[in-house]
Amino acid sequence: MDISKEQARESLSQIEEAAERTKKMMACSGGDAIFILWGFIWVLGYLGTHFLLQNASWPRLMGAGWLWSVLVVAGVIITLVMVRRHMPVRSSVRSRLGKRISRFWWLLFAYFYVWMVMLHPFIEVNGPGEAAALYIHLSAVAATVAMFAYVVVGLWLDHFMIWIGLGVTALTVLGLFLLQPYFCVWMAVAGGGTLIGTGLTIRNRWRQPCPASTS
Amino acid sequence: MSGIDKLIHQPVRLQVMASLVSLDPDDQVDFTYLRDLLNVTDGNLGAHLVKLEEAGYIDVEKTFVVRKPRTFVSATPKGRSAFRDHVEALNAILHGVDRQTPS
Repeated sequence: MDISKEQARESLSQIEEAAERTKKMMACSGGDAIFILWGFIWVLGYLGTHFLLQNASWPRLMGAGWLWSVLVVAGVIITLVMVRRHMPVRSSVRSRLGKRISRFWWLLFAYFYVWMVMLHPFIEVNGPGEAAALYIHLSAVAATVAMFAYVVVGLWLDHFMIWIGLGVTALTVLGLFLLQPYFCVWMAVAGGGTLIGTGLTIRNRWRQPCPASTS
Repeated sequence: MSGIDKLIHQPVRLQVMASLVSLDPDDQVDFTYLRDLLNVTDGNLGAHLVKLEEAGYIDVEKTFVVRKPRTFVSATPKGRSAFRDHVEALNAILHGVDRQTPS
């Protein structure tokens, strides 16, 4: 079979591009949809919380708690289904890693719950107004705990996630201390928006058309 | 030393093999992702996969995930070795190394 230098160069270039796109696909691995999903959960959760904490009352505070509980449980279930249904690559190694990451998330939030229980005796609130302020601080802590998980998972998988985790943490701290009256709106836009934007960026990065693939 | 592999050299099959070989030996890629990645139709990709499978270069596994049928594709050790030889042969041509390339 005779192949010219030009044909060889073209073939090698096709190989390089296919390998490169596969690596991008691997880096993405359904992560785009998961980022977008959690971005929307943040937008809904924080905008709902902002609305519920206006003229704070105990029932409205309870409502905010329920809103987040429902959103987080729904988010976890949808994430698990998406991971099972849409993962482009499967392997026993990745499956083990996935299970380890999943356990890490569960353990982190179990620890977060334990920390809250331990701190509970020292938390005093007088009336729903103070409770609403405390709620905002706790939601900021929860957001940074989630972002800490992103950073740790990023150390295992992809450094890209470290930057997302650190970036959203910085935005959370900024919002909490400089924009507290609008903290929830800030978190919906800056935090949720960052997650959605990240998902869309990942999606666009690897779904660029392939070079001509004739049969 | 083997050279250009006619079966692998076809552009779609070349990209299929490049994609599969760039993954870990343990990895299996979903058919639909491979199709999107290469921007080809189901039928076109399916036909090329059959040829690669017949040559023993890939394994195709049909299974059910959450009650939906899915097909996973992976490169075999024989396929990886043939692809490596093919890339070596291409590089040899590109860099002007004189070598025999069986048709």
